[in-house]
Amino acid sequence: MLLTLVERLARFMAILGGLVLTALIGLTCVSVLGRGLNTFGHSEFMTSLSESAANALIATGVGPVSGDFELVEAGISFTIFAFLPICQLKRGHATVDVFAGSFPRWMNRWLEVVWEVLLSLLIFLITWRLFVGMEDKMRYNETTFLLQFPIWWAFALSFAAAAVASVVALYCAVAKVLELITGRRFTPDAEGGVH
Amino acid sequence: MSLLELGYLSFPVLLLLVFLRAPIGLAMMICGLGGLYLATGSSNIILAKLKSETYSTFSSYSLTIIPMFLLMGQFATHSGMSSSLFKAAESWLGHRKGGVAMAAVGACAGFGAICGSSLATAATMSRVALPELRRYGYSGGFSTATLAAGGTLGILIPPSVILVIYAILTEQNIAKLFLAAFIPGILAAIGYMITISIYVRLNPGSAGTREPVPYAERMRALMDVWPVLLVFGLVVGGIYLGWFTPTEGAAVGAAGTGIIALISGNLTWKVFVDSMIQTAMSTAMIFFIVLGAGFYNSFLALSQLPQELSGWVVGQGFSPLVVLTLILLFYLVFGCLMDSLSMILLTIPIFFPVISVLDFGMSPEHVAIWFGILVLIVVEVGLITPPVGMNLFIINAMDRSTPMKETYKAVLWFVTSDIVRVILLVLFPSITLFLLAG
Amino acid sequence: QEVTLRLHQFLPAQANVPKNVLDPWADKIEAESGGRIKIERYPAMQLGGKPPELIDQMVDGVVDIVWTVAGYTPGRFPRAEVFELPFTMTDAETMSRAYWKLAEETMMDEDFARFKPLALWVHGPGVIHSSKPIVALSDLNGVKLRAPTRVTNKLFSNLGATPIGMPVPAIPEALSKGVVDATVIPWEVVGALKVNELVKNHTEFPGKALYTTSFIFGMNKDKYDSLPDDLKAIIDANSGEEFSAFAGKQMQADDAGPRAAAVEMGNNIITLTDEQAAEWEAAAQGTIDEWYAEMDAKGIDGKALQARAEALMAN
Ligand code: NA
Ligand code: NA
Repeated sequence: MLLTLVERLARFMAILGGLVLTALIGLTCVSVLGRGLNTFGHSEFMTSLSESAANALIATGVGPVSGDFELVEAGISFTIFAFLPICQLKRGHATVDVFAGSFPRWMNRWLEVVWEVLLSLLIFLITWRLFVGMEDKMRYNETTFLLQFPIWWAFALSFAAAAVASVVALYCAVAKVLELITGRRFTPDAEGGVH
Repeated sequence: MSLLELGYLSFPVLLLLVFLRAPIGLAMMICGLGGLYLATGSSNIILAKLKSETYSTFSSYSLTIIPMFLLMGQFATHSGMSSSLFKAAESWLGHRKGGVAMAAVGACAGFGAICGSSLATAATMSRVALPELRRYGYSGGFSTATLAAGGTLGILIPPSVILVIYAILTEQNIAKLFLAAFIPGILAAIGYMITISIYVRLNPGSAGTREPVPYAERMRALMDVWPVLLVFGLVVGGIYLGWFTPTEGAAVGAAGTGIIALISGNLTWKVFVDSMIQTAMSTAMIFFIVLGAGFYNSFLALSQLPQELSGWVVGQGFSPLVVLTLILLFYLVFGCLMDSLSMILLTIPIFFPVISVLDFGMSPEHVAIWFGILVLIVVEVGLITPPVGMNLFIINAMDRSTPMKETYKAVLWFVTSDIVRVILLVLFPSITLFLLAG
Repeated sequence: QEVTLRLHQFLPAQANVPKNVLDPWADKIEAESGGRIKIERYPAMQLGGKPPELIDQMVDGVVDIVWTVAGYTPGRFPRAEVFELPFTMTDAETMSRAYWKLAEETMMDEDFARFKPLALWVHGPGVIHSSKPIVALSDLNGVKLRAPTRVTNKLFSNLGATPIGMPVPAIPEALSKGVVDATVIPWEVVGALKVNELVKNHTEFPGKALYTTSFIFGMNKDKYDSLPDDLKAIIDANSGEEFSAFAGKQMQADDAGPRAAAVEMGNNIITLTDEQAAEWEAAAQGTIDEWYAEMDAKGIDGKALQARAEALMAN
């Protein structure tokens, strides 16, 4: 029951992150196209072909998206944090299992719990530090280079996603401990990522 | 304990944690942050690093290329390109001895040109080619081994996620690395095909035969692979010609394959969600390791270990080729146990300074590129060396009827072909650097 | 030794500033302390993070000393930006001295309150390096260029160029592939990036320079306070106005080599006439007015700050 809820939450974040990633891909493509058309409008080929057509192309204001670089940086950080919960819940983190077969069963079960708890602690720590980082950026009024939006906005987005990752991490850690004590299953099967 | 000793000690500790099944990124973070704590005697540095470096790593513009290439691979998987590639290759090669297996390798090479990841290539092509191989009487172990080896073409032929990571770690030009990977990648495909033809001659029972296809049909099948050529040409060509940066190229590639998948009618909402979930899992895993490696490498820099080690190697007056061979052997051995990306992130900051102070009679940039391609190949071999070979696992999971032992046995032929290729590339750096000369 | 100080910065060890400014400084401190202070030098961001993080690494005590660009963290050092306004600088040594003095008057409790500045300086005159000659303002129309600072980004965008953001190491590749047509950097950086081999035209401004960049060389406050008085005195004696002036002068002196190399290659070095430059200066006023408005919004009297900077440079 709770697992279904947590699983839904993790999937929701992954899809949300995926939609942001898709938007960034679109933004980048538009910027590339704009820059290409701008160059084309200024090219000798185009101006020799038709001065007025070249000027008309330039006059449309076509060009790279200003600050695309900054938007991608702000957006991708949110995306990565939004991708963390599903990876955590489905234990997608890379491990070396070559010796697992030679460990006794109890040892493998303990190891799983220990790493899960440490991983969760680390995610809490990262979330907390991200919040402190956001406060710093607010205090110093730091902005981006071109668009000059406050950097803390980007931190805040990432913090929100990291907070969800923390909730999922808390669930995973508690569930793993309970699994060790009760012998029942509260987490989904492992599902490795592909790269 | 001196900082340097602490640096040396961190390595066995890290290996211990990893072999005790700690997530690799977590193990690197524990060693990196723990090492920084012991080195400075204060937790300030840990808290400060977590505060700024997590965000700066996750928001890195150059690393954005990774989720984009992964998504591109996902879209390519669902766009039907894998089956048209295989069909085209099969119509040209299928009637030869071992021809269907050769076609599978050829199709893997084609798919590798639009997919940056080895496991995705192996998985996707297996879905298409495994049933066909079995239908034409190819033995189980030979079929799975062929596809496991073919899958490595996913990272050998550009674009390649591993090569991107190497470029970022060593501050090399991604476009040049992609270009340099091209000929060795093609050589890999040719080497695998030769291996197949030797194998079927020595084990005649392992492969069946099929009728040749008329030329008209072959041409038609070839026409169907234009989307692959288009996307590959646009992405790798565009990056090389400077139309766009590698990150922009990855975005163009992801958009291109996405649109092709959409037009082919395969990109439903459910497929889109699946693609996103797969991309999410892999991306989070990779970034977590990248973050951990960043912390661990800061600690190593502070301990002065890389500088000391490269100074020592130079002081001993070892021949550069001997050092290079030892490093490559190290990767081959560790590749039997460890995942390729983790290995690169863990070892390049230590080995690269060593290699870059040695004199191979080439410009530093050429050494860096040549070494990068060699490392790429030996870590790729790790994907198919028993016992831990991710490609072997993936394909065996898709073909439960074949015992792992059979796959292990057959794959050693392909490993041999890889080793022959590495020796060639070590002895003749110009093979790798040929395309860069112009 | 008693004290080890870690110095972190973003350029490779053999670049001009590490070699000609930071190393001599660190060597002198080590020598004068009789080996009681050791300064470990970590070039090229070896200790991790990206250049914009340097300032926080120092404030948070990850490292003890950093050299960084004030503009890496836009908005954080608004007052230091006054020296980056277009057509303000004539000479880097004079301006670096003024930068230190103005900082003592207005910035130590504001922009630089969280750390101890050791020196503050600017580099030599900024120059436009372009594939096509740029003389008149109209030559900028549609030119894709990489501008170095927040203010120059505004300036060139106001003047009709298309600024494209990218890190410094990406410049040679972008120039050679035509991703940008021009870049704006001082001569000192041209050598390292081999820009003179990629483009043939260099536009210099007579008298007042097009722009410059404000640097910060600073130390963690707690670390400084923890030093015994005699070691503090050694650091103090080698820091401040004189060292700032030296660093500015040295950076401008480092301009000479790459400029001579460009001349030798037969490149086209365009020096604008006073009338042509006056036209540029007039056009830049709009950007300066925008800057005043931005400072107003932050509660800073930009005009007064600029006037004071001019006054300090005049004597
Ligand atoms: Na590939
Ligand atoms: Na292996």
